[in-house]
Amino acid sequence: KEENEVAEEVLVRDVLYACQGIDGKYVKFDKNVDGYVLNDSTKVPRATRIMVRKLCELGLLFRKVKGYISESMDRFPAEDVGTVGQAFCAALQDELSEYYKLLAVLESQSVNPIPSFSESGSSGNYLSLRRLSVWFAEPMVKMRLMAVLVDKCRVLRGGAMAGAIHLHAQHGDPLVHEFMKRLLRRVCSPLFEMVRSWVLEGELEDIFAEFFILAQPVKVESLWREGYRLHAGMLPSFISQSLAQRILRTGKSINFLRVCCEDRGWADAAMEAAAAAGMTTGRGGLGYGETDALETLVMEAAKRIDKHLLDVMYKQYKFKEHCLAIKRYLLLGQGDFVQYLMDIVGPELSEPANTISSFKLAGLLESAVRSSNAQYDDRDVLDRLRVKMMPHGTGDRGWDVFSLDYDARVPLDTVFTESVMARYLRIFNFLWKLRRVEHALIGAWKAMKPNCIASLSFTKLQGAVKLQLLSTLRRCQVLWDEMNHFVSNLQYYIMFEVLEVSWSDFSNEMDVAKDLDDLLAAHEKYLHSIVEKSLLGERSQPLYKTLFVLFDLILRFRSHADRLCEGIYELQARTVGSSLPSQDKTKLGRHLNEKPSEPGSWVSDGRKALTQRASEFLRNMGQDLDAISKEYSSVLEGFISQLPVQQHIDLKFLLFRLDFTEFYSRLRPVVS
Amino acid sequence: ADSFSPGLEKAIGCYDAPVQELIVIDDLLSALVGIEGRYISIKRVHGNDDDVTFQVDASMDLALQELAKRIFPLCKSFLLIHQFVESRSQFKNGLVNHAFAAALRALLLDYQAMVAQLEHQFLLGRLSIQGLWFYCQPMMGSMQALSTVIHKASTSNFVGSAVLNLLQSHAKAVAGDNAVRLLLEKMTQCASSAYLGILERWVYEGVIDDPYGEFFIAENKSLQKESLTQDHDAKYWGQRYSLKDGIPSFLANAAGTILTTGKYLNVMRECGHNVQVPVSENSKLMSFSTNHHYLECIKAAYDFASGELLNLIKDKYDLVGKLRSIKHYFLLDQGDFLVHFMDIAREELAKRLDEISVEKLQSLLDLALRTTAAAADPCHEDLTCCVERASLLKKLGTLKDLDISRTVSDSNDLEEPVSLNGLETFSLSYKVQWPLSIVISRKSLTKYQLIFRFLFHCKHVNRQLCGAWQVHQGVRALNTRGTSISRSSLLCRSMLKFINSLLHYLTFEVLEPNWHVMHNRLQTAKSIDEVIQFHDFFLEKCLRECLLLLPELLKKVEKLKSLCLQYAAATQWLISSSTVIPKPEAPSDGSRGFEKFKQGKLRDPSQPLKLITGNASVTDPILKFEREFNAELQSLGPILSNRSQAEPYLTHLAQWILGVGNEQQVPISVPFYSDL
Repeated sequence: KEENEVAEEVLVRDVLYACQGIDGKYVKFDKNVDGYVLNDSTKVPRATRIMVRKLCELGLLFRKVKGYISESMDRFPAEDVGTVGQAFCAALQDELSEYYKLLAVLESQSVNPIPSFSESGSSGNYLSLRRLSVWFAEPMVKMRLMAVLVDKCRVLRGGAMAGAIHLHAQHGDPLVHEFMKRLLRRVCSPLFEMVRSWVLEGELEDIFAEFFILAQPVKVESLWREGYRLHAGMLPSFISQSLAQRILRTGKSINFLRVCCEDRGWADAAMEAAAAAGMTTGRGGLGYGETDALETLVMEAAKRIDKHLLDVMYKQYKFKEHCLAIKRYLLLGQGDFVQYLMDIVGPELSEPANTISSFKLAGLLESAVRSSNAQYDDRDVLDRLRVKMMPHGTGDRGWDVFSLDYDARVPLDTVFTESVMARYLRIFNFLWKLRRVEHALIGAWKAMKPNCIASLSFTKLQGAVKLQLLSTLRRCQVLWDEMNHFVSNLQYYIMFEVLEVSWSDFSNEMDVAKDLDDLLAAHEKYLHSIVEKSLLGERSQPLYKTLFVLFDLILRFRSHADRLCEGIYELQARTVGSSLPSQDKTKLGRHLNEKPSEPGSWVSDGRKALTQRASEFLRNMGQDLDAISKEYSSVLEGFISQLPVQQHIDLKFLLFRLDFTEFYSRLRPVVS
Repeated sequence: ADSFSPGLEKAIGCYDAPVQELIVIDDLLSALVGIEGRYISIKRVHGNDDDVTFQVDASMDLALQELAKRIFPLCKSFLLIHQFVESRSQFKNGLVNHAFAAALRALLLDYQAMVAQLEHQFLLGRLSIQGLWFYCQPMMGSMQALSTVIHKASTSNFVGSAVLNLLQSHAKAVAGDNAVRLLLEKMTQCASSAYLGILERWVYEGVIDDPYGEFFIAENKSLQKESLTQDHDAKYWGQRYSLKDGIPSFLANAAGTILTTGKYLNVMRECGHNVQVPVSENSKLMSFSTNHHYLECIKAAYDFASGELLNLIKDKYDLVGKLRSIKHYFLLDQGDFLVHFMDIAREELAKRLDEISVEKLQSLLDLALRTTAAAADPCHEDLTCCVERASLLKKLGTLKDLDISRTVSDSNDLEEPVSLNGLETFSLSYKVQWPLSIVISRKSLTKYQLIFRFLFHCKHVNRQLCGAWQVHQGVRALNTRGTSISRSSLLCRSMLKFINSLLHYLTFEVLEPNWHVMHNRLQTAKSIDEVIQFHDFFLEKCLRECLLLLPELLKKVEKLKSLCLQYAAATQWLISSSTVIPKPEAPSDGSRGFEKFKQGKLRDPSQPLKLITGNASVTDPILKFEREFNAELQSLGPILSNRSQAEPYLTHLAQWILGVGNEQQVPISVPFYSDL
């Protein structure tokens, strides 16, 4: 008893159409309910109506998926769907063609008439709505999944898209799981291909910026540090952060080798790595779900490429040798060279800074190299050694602006960047100053060697003046000793406890470094430890300033000591001269008299005047020395009292060394 | 949902009974897949998806109505299950629910296929309502059972293991009904496969791959492995991975094993060893059937992981070597470095607590280590030193986890010595690297330190007494009979005997045997947990037997030691004031001074000495020392014998110190000297 207006076969066919997104005769897309429904005017039982609507959900989902695919395809040439997006579309398309196949089978079945009570013996291969719902159960699940993915991925691209799809793959339903796996394998293949070519060839085949590594156009020397970076948004969640870092570094190493080192040896290393990971260097071979394989490949490649890079750095570009050269020349490790340089450049540097020609200094540097053991050094190293004049203000002396520079060429400038070299220069200036002070002290010592002065006979002098002379000399001598103690211990501390220790740590770390980042970190640590320990760091600014005051004091002392000695020599000459008036006298008296006295006055003044002048001179000198000595000891005390407050444990050793006999700590009142 | 108005149709009562039957069957076929028919409608109580009722048109033939109503429970079950499947397939519900829903969907598909078959029969005109009822029978029971399970699961919003437990308990509850039981077991099987996937990764790789938080092991990422070497109360080993609630009942017994297996694998991964349990075909944890194959797999994985980790720690990280090295330094089994150290660091250690420079001590310690036999130990650079803030007794009081008998330490609070010096607070420390820090944690190291401090101080007392003894040797040539010197000499000997006996007891009776026991047990240990247990047991036992957990006794011993120290410090003065130098001492040059110092600051032996007899100012202090020392020593006796029931090792100590139990030996007592 059928009161249906429409036969079920017709409805079934309409549903099949609707499921391909086509409006049928009775089943049409309704915008209001957002779905395919049976015409209201059609008179069918309620059950049939509901059934049709349920079955047509598939059509709605299909529309969505299909819409996304065609939309992406249309956009493709012009806009950035990206390779991952394309792969996604292709995978969806494949799934849809499976679906079309099913629909074709159903279509053929729908032609068969549904048996009714009257006739019998018709074939069983017909389609009723109920049968259709059995058929549609599985495609429905898949289609829903695809619709969800399409919704989620509409705005995503590249790695982000793969990551989003990956999140949906974690489903306990085996059917869904398999489906997602199949899909992801397709979707991720471009991504894995990028990883492969990046890791093995250093090529960034990423036109649509989908990869989780970004390249930035930079200068050659900052290629390593800034050239490439991770793009967190594009990193799919199935690749861990550490793995991503390793991937980044491997490709970076290859690019570094190619661009900066002009080396082709990495290709062999990459080949080996691929072989070790059990795959060819050709395309393919990696897929979603084989994270282990990916990891192995990356590990192997990273190991080999990094090793190769370090080999190139060490062997071809002689990184170690250059570090050593910098230590020897810029950090004044080569003693005889520094001595010669100080000797010949010294006079020049006392001139005002703006009168000094840097060409001349370069010449002097050259001759310092030639006359010291440095001449046997590698030519390549020596060529890189330059004189650098820092920008100077008015009143600067040559000492303030002179420095040595080392020209680290590509690829070493990745390590020795401008800022690194600036720090080296700071250290150099400090060490140079220290040397200069030491040099000055030695000069003073030469002038006032006790036996030089003692050998002069002052028998003719009056007893009081003689006593005065000796006491002044002694004071000078004591002050010199104190200064010398300070400077030589500071020098010792810097040379042995700072530079050598840091260098030894550095070379140990260089030996165990596994990649360029390790090497950079080791070098950074080396430089940092030198800067910190030799008081150049931020925290020891006050100490550093005090130290410079001390240095200036010592230089001042030097000039005073020189004057004193000169005076004494003159005095001696004078006493001899007074007995031998035929001596040339015009040259004398410049120092003892403010205004050059006319010749002969000495003779007329006689010994009394001479003695008076001498004693006056000595008194002046003595007062000057006392002033210096007082200032020196107060500044030194300040310096020593600041030392224990410092963070660095090594500075305690400096204190220990300076105050070995606890002389200073006893002088100071005990602070509780 | 009512796009259709029933008013358009005639009431069913208008038709003949056979026509009515056909219409009802058609409607029932729809209702079976949850769709309203012409005369059968579905009423939902608003806001409650589970409460669904089917209604038939009242005008229907009464017999037909009854027949139709019989089938409604099946329709209702279908509807419930269908809803459940739809809602539980969503991502947020977890893998177990997904898998369960998938299994249900497969079942529903069968059911729908059956309905389609029935329709075929119906279209061929071969189906009566009675026949429909008959065909529905097989499905009836199982669908009903499933719907009750689902009802429970959805009302309580079960996820993960709760679902598994529910399914399993239900399967057990309906054990009488074979068909339903099999169905439920199959469901459990399917639902648990996803769960076993997680389990497999954890047990075989040590990875928690659990996107929806269903697994019963939680990882506490805030606990860092570095805390083991820094924090005294580090909980890393115990709580980094922990069991959560909701362990599936079939895994409940194996949960501990599962936890430790993954934990061991993780330790190895943290060490940079990527270890994976070798997976063979039959070790797949695909199903848990009654033959308990999965338990064997877990056991195998556990054995592998624990064996591998044990080998790693024992062989690669050389646990026993480290322990031996720690024993060298902390338990003083090679004393030469200590003697050297005490020689060179004497002055620094004698300073007050706040004046000691730890750096200086460290460099002296390094020196001592490098110039003695300890230099041969490859681990000697790991040793550092530190200076504690509190005295040994106080420190023991602050350590809460050592179960010191509270009553004693609380009742009379220890008065802290006013000025502690380095000798009382000096302690060693040891740098332990990561995997070994599981065994040698900060806590264990603290225990080592306590023992070390006690030993170190005893050694110090011993050395001081030896110095006092040397002083006495200087006046041996004189006839000392009847003077205070002979008395002092005897006192010195008894003190030496005491401290030597104590040291002997500590080292030979406690530390050595216990260490050997532990060493042997470590060789046979089967897992790292056993190793930790043996090591902790060893430390605990040593602490106890070294009296460190008995504050009452320890205080007595400290008192005795301080008496010894006072005596040793006073000896020099006592001896010198009981001898007389005929003429004033010649000014001594440097070498003489050093010589004097070496001989315990004796006067030049070439100069004749004379003894002063009966000097009360000398005799009195000696007598006082003697009295106090003997009184303290005697008072140890009852305490030791009282305690020795509970702690048998104390009898050894009593034997050594007091000679108790050794009848021939006369205890040191005052009457012995009374003829003076």
